[in-house]
Amino acid sequence: MANNEEKGYLSLVLHAHLPFIRHPEYEDFLEEDWFFEAMCETYIPLLDIYEKLTAEGTDFRVTMSITPPLCNMMADDLLRERFRRYYSLRLELAEKEVIRTRNTGFYEVAKMYERKFRRIRELYEDYYHGRILDGFKKFQDMGKLEIITCGATHGFLPLELRREAVHAQIKLAADNYRKHFGRGPRGIWLAECAYNPGDDVFLKAQGIRYFFLETHGIIYGSPRPRYGVYAPVYCPSGVAAFGRDMESAQQVWSAETGYPGDHRYREFYRDLGYDLEYDYVKPYLHQDGVRRNIGMKYCKITGKVGLNEKAPYNPQEARDMAASHAGNFMFNRERQIEHLEHFLGKKPIVVSMYDAELYGHWWYEGTDFLEFLFKKMHHDQKTVKMVTPSEYLGLHPDNQVVQPSMSTWGDKGYNEVWLNGTNDWMYRHLHKQVERMVELANKFPAADGTLRRALNQCAREVVLGMSSDWAFLMTVGTAKSYSTKRFVAHTHRFNGLYEQIMGNRLEEGWLKDLEWRDNIFPEMDYRVFSTEEMEKAAKS
Amino acid sequence: MTSSGQIKKGNTSPEAEHKALPEGYGATEAALLPRDPNWMFIYWEITENSRTNLTRAHGADIFQKGRQVIRVYDMSGVTDGGAPSKYFDIPVMLEAKSWYVNVQEAGRAYCCEVGLVMPDGTFIGIVKTNTVNLPGGRVSDVTDEKWMAVTADFDKLLQLSGVEYIGKGSGEVAKSLAQRWEMLRAVFSRASSWGVSSMSSQNLQKPEHQQQKKFWLVADCELILYGATEPDAFVTVSGRKVTLNPDGTFSMRFALPDGVVDMPIKAMSADETDSREIDIKVTRATTTDGK
Repeated sequence: MANNEEKGYLSLVLHAHLPFIRHPEYEDFLEEDWFFEAMCETYIPLLDIYEKLTAEGTDFRVTMSITPPLCNMMADDLLRERFRRYYSLRLELAEKEVIRTRNTGFYEVAKMYERKFRRIRELYEDYYHGRILDGFKKFQDMGKLEIITCGATHGFLPLELRREAVHAQIKLAADNYRKHFGRGPRGIWLAECAYNPGDDVFLKAQGIRYFFLETHGIIYGSPRPRYGVYAPVYCPSGVAAFGRDMESAQQVWSAETGYPGDHRYREFYRDLGYDLEYDYVKPYLHQDGVRRNIGMKYCKITGKVGLNEKAPYNPQEARDMAASHAGNFMFNRERQIEHLEHFLGKKPIVVSMYDAELYGHWWYEGTDFLEFLFKKMHHDQKTVKMVTPSEYLGLHPDNQVVQPSMSTWGDKGYNEVWLNGTNDWMYRHLHKQVERMVELANKFPAADGTLRRALNQCAREVVLGMSSDWAFLMTVGTAKSYSTKRFVAHTHRFNGLYEQIMGNRLEEGWLKDLEWRDNIFPEMDYRVFSTEEMEKAAKS
Repeated sequence: MTSSGQIKKGNTSPEAEHKALPEGYGATEAALLPRDPNWMFIYWEITENSRTNLTRAHGADIFQKGRQVIRVYDMSGVTDGGAPSKYFDIPVMLEAKSWYVNVQEAGRAYCCEVGLVMPDGTFIGIVKTNTVNLPGGRVSDVTDEKWMAVTADFDKLLQLSGVEYIGKGSGEVAKSLAQRWEMLRAVFSRASSWGVSSMSSQNLQKPEHQQQKKFWLVADCELILYGATEPDAFVTVSGRKVTLNPDGTFSMRFALPDGVVDMPIKAMSADETDSREIDIKVTRATTTDGK
């Protein structure tokens, strides 16, 4: 082996997802902020990094899911307009703050926010003209970013009873991906990494070549995977499964030793929404005037001190720390890959998977960390080559055939986060809706006019109810009442439409109202739920 | 279909969306879902019509005389139409409508049937579930290796011979990774973002000192409390507020140590004009032969 040849591969995978939250019936809606915050803190900063790296000639590889709900929100006219309002208000406040904080310890951090929101405006308006999916597509077309899809609404597949539901989640996702990115998806992020053995045939039917699993999904597979998680395996269908590397996951995440806890990094729980004079900050709060986080924070973690004793944030010091952590991460991957290559007698692939929103939203400097990591990986070492899963499969098409085990990346490794005393009541209603939707799709193979619109809206309501997010939020107890309301609302909307269709008494006014509220997948074709389509896909 | 930026101010959801979810769908049905290697969740609905048919066929008092159970069949290796060889029963109240089912053997296929065990031992099945394949939860014993090459467009799926890959210790990679994963996961589950404090699902572990001996026994017991009332009622159990599911049902699971547990359950109607109270006392006394 030549000295300058790599000893193994690193694949960085970011899972970007939010549930579909869009409320045209309200002028101002609290939970829509989740999307705007993630835009400002994660999605646009990631594009900013890709722009910078490309401009300076640094090659990089990253794999990123942009789930169909997120694609739908990014492309939606109403949310685009509301996002403009969101960042414009932030920028207005940041500009005022630069004046207010002059000659105080907070001046540097105030200037940082002003720069940040100006850059967001510049990228969003001047670079992408409000269409940030085009930004991601640009880097995919350059071969640096691989965008993968996800179930249509992040549906939790192992708890579905009907294969029609699994097929519909995958098929709708693949079609939506084609619409936004101009080609079919090569990979998929199964929501919550939840895998049910055999469901991979529906991936294959859409031309999807690979998906990801939590560590034990691979190592508890049968027969025993010879290289553990350090090489993908093929399911009997020929679809590849890549397993998560726990070492690199833990290095970033762990509360004791993970990077985000460093005392120089930004403190999440001190926010201007609470810290500023009420009358001064009120125009930047929601219409109800209640103090909440507004995403601008002036303090660093500082150490084990009370929230009122936190010191001012120093942007340069924090950025230097992110560079140092990126160096540490790279060093550890080099040693890990040297060790594995020796141990396995084969070039290993280390797959590091994270929620994208960890970077920037939860760990503010996480996006700086990624920027430094890409630069260092490219310029400072030769041991590890960054690849996308597609590239790896092109280089190494021979892999072991293993039936992976049912698994998820949730607490305890299986389905309990999405099936426990807080949310198990949902499933009898969800399953009934799917059963009825399949019945409708089979009964009306070629509907048109109002009936067709009603059937398409039924399909939208079913898939919205299938989001794993509702069950998850009930378990963790945050936004529990919102998630319960959403699930109940989609159930009623579906059941109402179903009864109107079966009773041949459609109320067009109500249908129109639902189309206006729940407008996900404008291209919806309800026949995706038919048994015939599912069977065709399963045999392909 | 486009949002067109129009804002309907003050237009809240239609009336229908504040309604509780349907209590049932008018069909006798049951479903079984996998939770983890040792637990499944079953829900069922039994209509009045089905009950009437059962009493007509088997006698008016069968629901009093029969023990209400979930019969859990081990379906592993059972071919279509074949009869399962192994089963066990879990006592249950038909009104519970759902239950968590614990099985000792992971990695097998299970199916459940809700029904009645009559005094003479005959079983009257009422409703049967789908079959669920539970994950094994450990490193596989199967070590035969098969290899495949897949080209970019799936047009060629080629099975390769395993010969050139055969070597010793192939399983050791998976085993050592499994240990590492278990360790990291234990550290993680406290520190990770989930922050889930879900119900306990401890699998019964063989006690360390008994692993040398051939024969062993462990047993434990938990308590599941459940009930239903009007969906908008205010309910407390032992003085603590209980959150009702949208259909008005509630269930809780408790550890059950030796001794007496007293659980007063109180429900108050939404308009505070009516209330009901049920008091449940449970006594547990565990004895072992000390061997």
